[in-house]
Amino acid sequence: MKGILFALLGGFFLTFQSVANAAISKEIGSWQAATMTQLTGFVLAILIVLIIRDRSYRQLNQVSPLYASGGMLAAVVLFSNMTAVHIMGVTLTISIFLIAQLVLAIVIDSRGWFDMSLKKIGRTQILGVLMMVVGVIILKW
Amino acid sequence: MALGIFLAIIGGAFVCLQNTFNANVKKQVSVWTTTALVLFLGFAASLAAGLIFEGANLFSFQAEPWFWFSGIVGVGVVACVTQGVQLLGPSRAISLVMVSQIFFGLMWDTLGWFGLEKVPFTWQSLLGILLISGGVLLFQLGPILEQKRFMRLHPDVAKASNE
Repeated sequence: MKGILFALLGGFFLTFQSVANAAISKEIGSWQAATMTQLTGFVLAILIVLIIRDRSYRQLNQVSPLYASGGMLAAVVLFSNMTAVHIMGVTLTISIFLIAQLVLAIVIDSRGWFDMSLKKIGRTQILGVLMMVVGVIILKW
Repeated sequence: MALGIFLAIIGGAFVCLQNTFNANVKKQVSVWTTTALVLFLGFAASLAAGLIFEGANLFSFQAEPWFWFSGIVGVGVVACVTQGVQLLGPSRAISLVMVSQIFFGLMWDTLGWFGLEKVPFTWQSLLGILLISGGVLLFQLGPILEQKRFMRLHPDVAKASNE
């Protein structure tokens, strides 16, 4: 039960983040909004690391530089998210984001790219993505 | 419209890439160190992009006070999703996160809070997001259900594979 609440709240925060970023970027510009939210988020995260005396950063040198630099992708993610929300609203933006996310996940998992464990893709997963695409078409018809 | 769809596809693909890369970082360091690193690099990349596209104009803006607290939401995401995954396992937790995202999206479009343009609620859009949610559940939980059915139909194989 507690897990369900956390997951639902996590989804709420994700949507809230899209909405807040889109609203802020409308007022002060997209790159300003992206820079600002990432900076304040970082400050809070580093405070948490300090408070819980998390020393695991010492193992950071064992992480491949490619994976460690993944955070930079957020610039593209945030810019496209804010712009897409302005153009077509929150629901459609989130839905297409999720479809693209899951389709690429299928490709990565089925080939075992980026050190991901190789997974066989089931029929239910293909069917699930197709259902989502139909849903988006109905949403926008 | 076409630009919006294009950007959402690119953005979604980048989210997946980032999740994949982050998963590899988390094999070595904790969730919060990963989060701090990811947000710092996101900040640095956004700052660089902003300077390239807008130069010094990047810093001429009038922020309302609440703008400075928006980053906290991202930390809330990490905290809640991590807890959810720990308690429910990744498939169940992520499917709920995604479904919740879509429903709150519809709510927000309908209410048009924060000065975003209102997208009027229609029963058709509800049908659309019900299908999308169904698709998410099928995608995330399908493999678990298939495995369970297989074990029920072939209890001996299932028993052997557990041993």
